[in-house]
Amino acid sequence: MVGGGVIQQILRRKLHSPSLATPVRSWLSSKTAHVDAGSSGVRAFALLGAGVTGLLSFSTVASADEAEHGLACPDYPWPHDGILSSYDHASIRRGHQVYQQVCASCHSMSLISYRDLVGVAYTEEEAKAMAAEIEVVDGPNDEGEMFTRPGKLSDRLPQPYANESAARFANGGAYPPDLSLITKARHNGQNYVFALLTGYRDPPAGISIREGLHYNPYFPGGAIAMPKMLNDEAVEYEDGVPATEAQMGKDVVSFLSWAAEPEMEERKLMGFKWIFLLSLALLQAAYYRRLKWSVLKSRKLVLDVVN
Amino acid sequence: MTRAFEYDLLSKCDVSNRKEDSCVLLSHGAEDEVVDPKKYLEESCKPKCVKPLLEYQACVKRIQGDDSGHKHCTGQYFDYWHCIDKCVAPKLFAKLK
Repeated sequence: MVGGGVIQQILRRKLHSPSLATPVRSWLSSKTAHVDAGSSGVRAFALLGAGVTGLLSFSTVASADEAEHGLACPDYPWPHDGILSSYDHASIRRGHQVYQQVCASCHSMSLISYRDLVGVAYTEEEAKAMAAEIEVVDGPNDEGEMFTRPGKLSDRLPQPYANESAARFANGGAYPPDLSLITKARHNGQNYVFALLTGYRDPPAGISIREGLHYNPYFPGGAIAMPKMLNDEAVEYEDGVPATEAQMGKDVVSFLSWAAEPEMEERKLMGFKWIFLLSLALLQAAYYRRLKWSVLKSRKLVLDVVN
Repeated sequence: MTRAFEYDLLSKCDVSNRKEDSCVLLSHGAEDEVVDPKKYLEESCKPKCVKPLLEYQACVKRIQGDDSGHKHCTGQYFDYWHCIDKCVAPKLFAKLK
């Protein structure tokens, strides 16, 4: 805590340029002049120093805060938001198609297997056929060599790059994160990812983004390495739904939400059932406790004084 | 679709004042061009957010002569787009499948 006072001293010496902080500083220096040299006085001085440091540093970096945290994303009314609402599985299926055709060239989803898609977005035959399209390294065989074979349901979704270094090298130093848990790994993940994907805009006046990066107000700092990937008609949906940018964004976020929380539907059913049952149990327990305690709660104590 | 109808649609699709990707006719020959609902709602929400828009434009004007590279209008830009987002968000999903 004494360090706060030391910092304040250093700041006072260094901050000689006229700024909004100057009147604050002079007011504070007049205040601290009255503090006595006693131990409680030193402590108060130090506390005040720490507070002033915070105030001064805030006033000089406040202008950087907005872009630093990114524009706050709005809350969209996701169909799976309600207490008993399930995923829109048609949307998950379309979202997987968008992922496969638009995102999979850079982003891995290495925690999802083909078998996870069965019963959620595809039938077993469809999932088997999709898995068979990829080549997987397996082995070693009896001769000790690794070999490649067509994919099976038990295989994970394929990775676009062998490792993080390869991914960074191919993307100008930036690592396209694995998307298996992305909606849980970002604050307000579902709304954030949707806002990010559909939020590529021209930068505000006075902001220039270097070559190789792109402006996105929702991305912390504003300069993101990923270009705008969702463009109208980029994908042709099997079910004939018009593939606008917003539609693809909604579908791919539904898919990513499912990928991060596949247990959501079961969890909600279980939660509803058990919260209901435990509330009944609570009422029963409360009644039983009061019943048993009624003996003690209704007794009378008589203080009998012998004169 | 008859030839005349196609030409009529193409004439509405003036590439010089619109982005090409919103001017694509669906391959199976549907009547409407694809319009992104989010863009459409952002346009229609503009009247609700005139105040932050004017603040932003005033800021742009203020910093026009600046050469230091330190002045920017991020604050006003964020205020405007936050207003638009708040207006668009409740309505958007109703327009999507």
